[in-house]
Order: sequence, then structure tokens, then C-alpha cells
Amino acid sequence: MIELRQVSFRYEQARQENGLRDVNLTIGDGEVILLCGESGCGKTTLTRLVNGLIPHFWGGDLNGEVLIDGVKINEMPLYETAKIVGSVFQNPRSQFFNVDTDSEIAFGCENQGLPEEEIRKRVETNVKQYSLEPLMGRSIFELSGGEKQKIACASVSACDPDILVLDEPTANLDARATAALRRMLLLWKAQGKTIIIAEHRLYFLRDIADRIVYMNQGRIETVFTHENFISLGAEKLENMGLRPLSLNELQCHIKQPVQTNENLVFSDFRFSYKNGKPVLDIDKLNISEGASVAVIGHNGAGKSTFARCLCGLERKCGGKLLGQANVKGRKQRLKCCFMVMQDVNHQLFTESVLDEVLLSMEEENEEQAEEILKGLDLQELKEQHPMALSGGQKQRVAIASAIASKREIILFDEPTSGLDLRHMREVAANLWQLNAMGKTVFVVTHDPEFILSCCTYVVHMEQGYVIAQYPLDTNGTARMLSFFQDTADKPADLEGMVMM
Amino acid sequence: MMANEILQSVSTGKRFKLDPRTKMLMVITISTVIIGGGNGGLMNIAKPLLAAVPLLMLITSRRSRAAIAYTAIYILCFAGERLLVPITSGFLNFLIVACCGMLTRFLPGIMMGYFLVTTTTVSEFTAAMERMHMPRQITIPLSVMFRFFPTVGEEMAAINDAMKMRGITFANPMRMLEYRLVPMLMCSVKIGEELSAAALTRGLGAPVKRTNICEVGFHIQDMFAILICIFGFAAFFSSRIIS
Repeated sequence: MIELRQVSFRYEQARQENGLRDVNLTIGDGEVILLCGESGCGKTTLTRLVNGLIPHFWGGDLNGEVLIDGVKINEMPLYETAKIVGSVFQNPRSQFFNVDTDSEIAFGCENQGLPEEEIRKRVETNVKQYSLEPLMGRSIFELSGGEKQKIACASVSACDPDILVLDEPTANLDARATAALRRMLLLWKAQGKTIIIAEHRLYFLRDIADRIVYMNQGRIETVFTHENFISLGAEKLENMGLRPLSLNELQCHIKQPVQTNENLVFSDFRFSYKNGKPVLDIDKLNISEGASVAVIGHNGAGKSTFARCLCGLERKCGGKLLGQANVKGRKQRLKCCFMVMQDVNHQLFTESVLDEVLLSMEEENEEQAEEILKGLDLQELKEQHPMALSGGQKQRVAIASAIASKREIILFDEPTSGLDLRHMREVAANLWQLNAMGKTVFVVTHDPEFILSCCTYVVHMEQGYVIAQYPLDTNGTARMLSFFQDTADKPADLEGMVMM
Repeated sequence: MMANEILQSVSTGKRFKLDPRTKMLMVITISTVIIGGGNGGLMNIAKPLLAAVPLLMLITSRRSRAAIAYTAIYILCFAGERLLVPITSGFLNFLIVACCGMLTRFLPGIMMGYFLVTTTTVSEFTAAMERMHMPRQITIPLSVMFRFFPTVGEEMAAINDAMKMRGITFANPMRMLEYRLVPMLMCSVKIGEELSAAALTRGLGAPVKRTNICEVGFHIQDMFAILICIFGFAAFFSSRIIS
């Protein structure tokens, strides 16, 4: 049993994450608790209290008591907590200690000093249980996000903890990998484990969670039972800032694309890795200029490669982009396309927001820069250091520099992964704004809700080919949704085999 | 995007496996004897023998491209040293002596080091360190480093792409460096933080004797390798004493 009694917490450094105030919660053995609420509501902080990272790793003012089976967690050293609480984190890139999958699964048990035979047995059982055979003996660096998250779950479960804490585990996963995670959760639930999971994506948990804790600004606002939560309805959820519980409840607003007669033709976009395996093979693709295109498909379909090749980032991919008057090769595309990366931290270089925009201009023009910032609601932040901003603000700074550099084509690589409803809507609004300016926008995304709120066209890729392309009218919407629905409901067991 | 890994990520199987400690000993022997050794006597046998060891290792680990490159460069430089040096003079002579001399001396050690890091997994490395009773204060940071650098390499690649897209080039090297460092540092700090948190929740640092399921140990091939090393050092010291 986990008990939180009158817990308040404030982070030591002025971090973006908010603390907690007066949190009371009792979680019984074998319960599955879903923590939800907008970003910064304290979900992550609550998970850190349970796995002991607060106060042992993240310092701050902690009041109240956190007890696991009657023992105060803040008086227990982290390596003791590790035996009873297993944690899976949001970022699959940074939660592995080893570089190979086999050692990673054994790592936790090795740390506990279990006998070698026992560890081998546990690794074997876990591999079998989660059908990880194809992933064994592999390098962590060649796994996809979904595969990494699977290994993370298996390595946590190898230690056989009674409590599992997951902090936004699907933030970087596609529908198929999310479905695989769902199967793991079901298995754990059947084993009688206590599960605490903080998430924005709710649909895959709708029939797993026993109780739903809705948090707001560091407080627990309401605790719903499963039945109560299901009966809330789409509108209520939306008012609470939550994503819908099922893909069927998504609201469709059909957007009218900006009408142009000009076409962009992508010709001969091909790319393959050193080992000769082709990842992208597009002979011809017609897109009307000024469209807002969603690029969908499973992990490993070549979506990201397509985006990189379009931007001219892949040296080995030539390809031609035929516009109204000119033909653009790789080098020219590098100058007319701009990608807002999944991790925007990689593309902000300067000391202030204004500098960032000025850097992108051919000739520095402060007036124009201010104008752009104003349009994106960044005017007040112009003197701030980009790294001190929130995730959404950083993304807008990147968009601002794209506008400043007068790029015609703007790409987004999974811009809404791990975003709550409000922030997702903000990104959609920004994208729509770019569209209104006459830019052609491409979005690589796994988020159907996002597609519905800002895209006009869909390009569906699979195994490096474009297998379908259609406008998002009534038919197109149904078609797009059924793709996501199918993957969510009937996950192919191929997931383990798909690379990259 | 493939990261350039520092330590081999995947165990190379049971075909031909040397203990990590043997590999380290061989790196030390090869670099000491070939770089620092004199000529004459036993050294005439020891040097080519030791220079051939990395080649053999590369072949057994099926790194044929590296093996071919190593052989070609080594033979070229060796021939250059023997044949071209006597017939040239002046600056050209100096250049040949410098290039060929450096390469014939350093290349075997470098190749052996390459073999060491590409065929040892992180857990093999920690296991070997533990067997040598290295204190944890040394092994844990070292193994974290092996994990940390490739990750930072991935970040670097992404930052590079972003710079290309923004059209920031080498035209202004100082700015280029600064622009690279800021996101680099931010990402490294974040990754370091997340990695440590993850490792701690998995019980790293518990005051129990850590198990390691990795099999390290000496076999016949290790004995052979160690014999070669002993011979190398014997030749090395005898040539020192004679001179």
C-alpha cells in the first residue's frame, strides 16, 4: 500500500516543473492509477515521490509523509526503494545504462547482487514473456523508440518490483508501440502489480486504469473511479484539458486548404542505408503548393527519412523538387526548407530570442524581426535566453526563425509528442498560421487529433513507399482515422522486427 | 543515424574470445615494445610478430576492411622506411622518415586499441575491472562514460543538421563553435541527469557485492596472447640491457 499524507513539495531550483500542494492519496495493492492533467500539473513530481527520486535525487522542501507499506520512503536509501519500485521514464534515449540489450535487462538484478543463476533465469523468463527474442543481442543505438521502451519495461520487470511507476511512457511512441506497451500493462495488472502511470494519451488506458487522478496546479483536483471517468463524455474531458478517451470521440472540423493551382512535384527521392536496405523510394509525388500535409505511417515507414531528404540533409539522396518555375536540387532545398525538430533544443543557438530570429535573416532587420515575434506571441520574451523558455515557446522561436529566413516549405517532426491538449492546440494554431501565410507545411506525426485540427492533406507511407495520398475531406478523414484505429486495436506483432 | 559507439555493444559470440584484461595487456605490450623498443637481436623477431597480432585479431573478429587497410598502410610505410629513405635527401627525406616512422610505430598500437574497444561490451569491461579489484569509484564513472559519449554523439549529429539548415557554416569559426556549444551543453546536462536518475532507480550503488552475469575468464587463447606479450617484453628489456 502506498500512502501520501499531506504532501507538499517545492523544487530547490526554480524549475519549470511545479511542486505539489497538500496531496493526499492512498493506493491499494494491485491498483492501477492513472495520473492526468495539463503539463506542469505535478504528475511527474508525484511519480518521483513514489520512486524515491524525491528527495534523494531532486532536492527541495518536502513536507508530509510518503509511505510504502508503512515505511517512509524518504528515509529509505534509493537502492532499497529500487527493489520494490520499478520506474519507466519518458525519454527512451536516456534511461539505459548499458549499450547492449542483454546486459540492460540484467542490470537491475546485478545491482541487487542476486546470484548469477537466478539472474539468467529471470532474463530468460522476461524475454519470453514479452516476446523480445528479436531484440536480444542488439545494440541500444539501433533500436526504435518503441523497442527501447519495451526493453526498458522488461528490464524493470526483471527486478520483480511490486510497484511500477511510469512517467509518460508513450510520449515518443507511435500507435503500434503504444499498443505493445498496453499489452505489457495488462500483463502486469494480471500479475497483481500496483501501477502508477502519468500520461496525456488516455485512449490506450481506458479499460486498464482502476482510478483516475486528475491534477491541476500541484493539487489533486478529483479522483475518479473507472466508471465515473468513462461516463464524463468528450466535452467534459476537453474542458479539463484532457485528450479524448477513444479515437471515435475525435471531433472533425474539415479545413479548407488555401487554393492554389501550383503544384510541387517531388521526383526521384531515394535513399538507402549502407547495407543496401532501401528506406525511401519515391518516384513521383504531387502536392499542391500551400497545403498542410500530414505524413503518416508506422515506425520505420521512412517518414523521418523523407523529411530529412526533403530538407536536403541527406547527402546521398539527390532528388528533385519541381516548383512552378524552378527545379531544386539538394543544396537549394537546404535553403528553402526548414525543419522544426522533435527536440527543438538542438536548433536554438543564440543568447536571446531576438538574436535567434535575426540570425536567420539574410539582412538583419530588427523591425521585421519584432513583427514576426509579435505574430507568434513572443514579443515579451524577446530578451530571454531561448533555453530558459518552456517547450512550446522554444518551438515557436524555431518557427519564428523559419519565417524570418523566408523558407517556403516548413516541416515538423512529431511536434506534438508528449503534449497535452492545450499545448497541442497551440501548435496546431501556429501551423495553421504558417499555412495562411502561404507556406507549404509537412508534419510527420502519430497524433490523429492533431492532424484533424490543422492538416488538409494526408500522405501515407509504408516501407519507404507512398502507398496512399488523399485530401482530408469527409472520406479522407474517415480513411485517416481508420489507419490509426486499426493500429491501435490490432497491433501487428511485427513491431519487434521493425528497425529504426 | 548510427551512433559511433565507443565500446562494442553486442557480444561477438563464442567464436574467438579474449578476456578484456588480456586485450588491455596486449595494447600495453604492443605500444610499449613497438614504440619504445630498439633494434637488433630478439627485437627483429618481436617487432614484426607484435605488429602481426592486431592483424590476426582483426581477422578473427571479421573486421576485414580494417584488416586490409592496416596491412596495406603498414606494408607501404615499412617499405618506404627501408627503400625510400636511403635514396632520398633533404625535406623529402625528412617527410618520409617522419610519416613512415610514425605510422609503423603507432599504427599497431592504435589498431590493437581499436580491437579492444570494438570487441568489448560495457558489462565485460566492468566485469574485468571488478576481477582486478578496481575500486567502484573508478569503474562506475568509466562505464558511464562509455554510455554517455555515443549519446552525446547522437545529439551532436542532430545539432549539426540544425546548423546546416540554418546555413551556419565555417565562415565564422568562433560563432560556429559557440552556437554548437550552447545546445550541446544543455543537452548533455539533461541527458546526464536523466541517465543518473534512471540508474539510481535501478539500484546502482547498493552496498552489496554486485553480480555480473558476463563471463570473463582466461582460456587457452589468452595464455597464448600472454606468452606473446612476455616474449615481447623479454625482447624489449634484453635489447635495452645490451645497448
